[in-house]
Amino acid sequence: MTAARTFRKVLVANRAEIAVRVCRTLREMGIASVAVYSEADRGALHVRSADEAVCIGAPAPADSYLNVAAILEAARATGAEAIHPGYGFLSQSAAFARACGKAGVVFVGPSPASMEILGDKASSRRAARKAGVPTIPGVEGVASAEVAQKEAKVIGYPVLLKAVGGGGGRGMRRVDSPDELAAAFESARREAAAAFGDDRLFLEKLVHPARHVEIQILGDGKDAIAIGERECSLQRRYQKILEESPCTALSEATRSAMESAAVALAREARYAGAGTVEFLLGPDGAFYFLEVNTRLQVEHPVTEMRSGLDLVRAQIEVAAGGALPKKPALRGHAIEARLNAEDPYQGYLPQTGRVLALAWPTGDGVRVDAGIRADQIVHAHYDSLLAKVIAHGRDREEARRKLLAALEELALLGVMTNQAFLLELLDDHSFRTGETFTHTLESREWPGPATVSDEALIAAAVALHAPAGAAQDGRDDDDHFSPWLRLGTWGRA
Amino acid sequence: MSRRLSLRWGAKHVETEVSFRNGRVTLTRDGRTVDAAYRRDAGRVMITLGAETRRAVTAKDSRGLWVSSRGRTWLLVPEGREGMTRGAADAPDEIRAPMTGTVVSVTAAAGSHAKEGELLLTIEAMKMEFKLTAPEDGEVLEVACAEGDRVELGQLLVRLKPAAPAGSAA
Repeated sequence: MTAARTFRKVLVANRAEIAVRVCRTLREMGIASVAVYSEADRGALHVRSADEAVCIGAPAPADSYLNVAAILEAARATGAEAIHPGYGFLSQSAAFARACGKAGVVFVGPSPASMEILGDKASSRRAARKAGVPTIPGVEGVASAEVAQKEAKVIGYPVLLKAVGGGGGRGMRRVDSPDELAAAFESARREAAAAFGDDRLFLEKLVHPARHVEIQILGDGKDAIAIGERECSLQRRYQKILEESPCTALSEATRSAMESAAVALAREARYAGAGTVEFLLGPDGAFYFLEVNTRLQVEHPVTEMRSGLDLVRAQIEVAAGGALPKKPALRGHAIEARLNAEDPYQGYLPQTGRVLALAWPTGDGVRVDAGIRADQIVHAHYDSLLAKVIAHGRDREEARRKLLAALEELALLGVMTNQAFLLELLDDHSFRTGETFTHTLESREWPGPATVSDEALIAAAVALHAPAGAAQDGRDDDDHFSPWLRLGTWGRA
Repeated sequence: MSRRLSLRWGAKHVETEVSFRNGRVTLTRDGRTVDAAYRRDAGRVMITLGAETRRAVTAKDSRGLWVSSRGRTWLLVPEGREGMTRGAADAPDEIRAPMTGTVVSVTAAAGSHAKEGELLLTIEAMKMEFKLTAPEDGEVLEVACAEGDRVELGQLLVRLKPAAPAGSAA
């Protein structure tokens, strides 16, 4: 790739695994990196991954990772020429991209104008229709629960309420009947306001059973390429949990039509950088435009594993005025699992705590994008994603087996995660046969382990009561009277 | 010499007998006996069951003993000889914060009656909403939080006095 110029220093306006991952590519490119962090993240892995780091405020996102003035000041003070926003936080804020421009810093991403067209659900649907991309029947701005009632009656139940201002399942509710609508409307509106500072909602028809299929795009402001699809149907509360490519249910003709639609939309919006066009694939093979994520996607490694293309590198090259890479050939099958600090067997309750011990899997075709280190505290302030484990194989079954083996090798103590659930899911009949739909996770009970395994009990017995001597390594072992036994059940973190 | 090992895993109790001899451990649970060789190695326990050697990692914190083995993680809380004694049947139920977060709405009111499964309050954490419901029918004795409060893991939120079960002599 021939970049017209490159940057000497780039600030990464994000945290956790994505900040660590962006810093890795910057290092490979010989570009100095600047991390920013909140007071709660002083000891976080991403702070150590960058060449320098600047504290930008209090733990609450509004005071730090969403604090435009503090981030721009950090860029100025460190002499960063560009800002990579990662995903979430300010990555889809046209106002932030514009503020970067005013401050003379390059925003690694599309222009504010493209973001305004594609980032807003209502205007992106208009752009999609203009570009000839099919959309789901719906209403673009529902002022009140009363209006929602009226419109839902016209569209027909079940309907979906969505936040105009953002994605990730926040401010999103499925509504099956008129009597659920008012409560769902208020709750979605509150969640949307809290997450995006924008309480506008959107109402549409629910396609069922549906698969979530998305196309990776890369543009340079004039032209764009599509780099295959990712299927991300397995979602909990509309947050993806397993993602893979290729999609088992996509015919070559449909894939090609989806890619063409995504490229047409990218051209229509003069899109620059990496982006994702999301579609719902219906049982009849028809697909409908959902939304565009005008940023790097969490699950981008799935595409990287199949294409060999570093999407962060491509983003930076395009931002520096370089050319688009050629459309790469895709090979094999890749699956990603998201390791979250949550308890799937207790309503996905967020989990916090200090990471006591950590061991990541290794091996051919296995990639781990981690955002935590041992001894780091996982807080309730931020998203629950701790790490992503991605496996690539010659075919789907090989990738699935590699991912299973990798997740069995992974050990994380001190914070409860969804690891056991990921293993259960990967080995479930629905996943093995590729029968994955957006409702699959919610439509069933997932019992989880019924009891403690023999080896776990033996390990516990050894840790608690094994006599000192030949079978141990000489580490101190005063278990019987250690303080935690007397502390009671709730930790005083 | 064998000893009893009582552990709590979530809401479940696991009772075992263990004995150690010459680098081997014998574990009896649910009427079954498992015999394995074990070796400790830098925070890990290597367990050989038959022909297979499995690796487990353990660590302790104020919540209990964490064990990870073959991709599953268990938080085990050792229990005293007398076990966990539950309070008398009419003792108030304490609804505590299941995580650190912010109270977004409170529907429970002191003095009111709550039915099992009825919404008491909603907490937001990690940008997701979680609904706390009454674990059983009862009277709301106290609401110890208000909308907008930031609450810590384990903090008392609501006290509930369970209704007397039908047919109870109390």
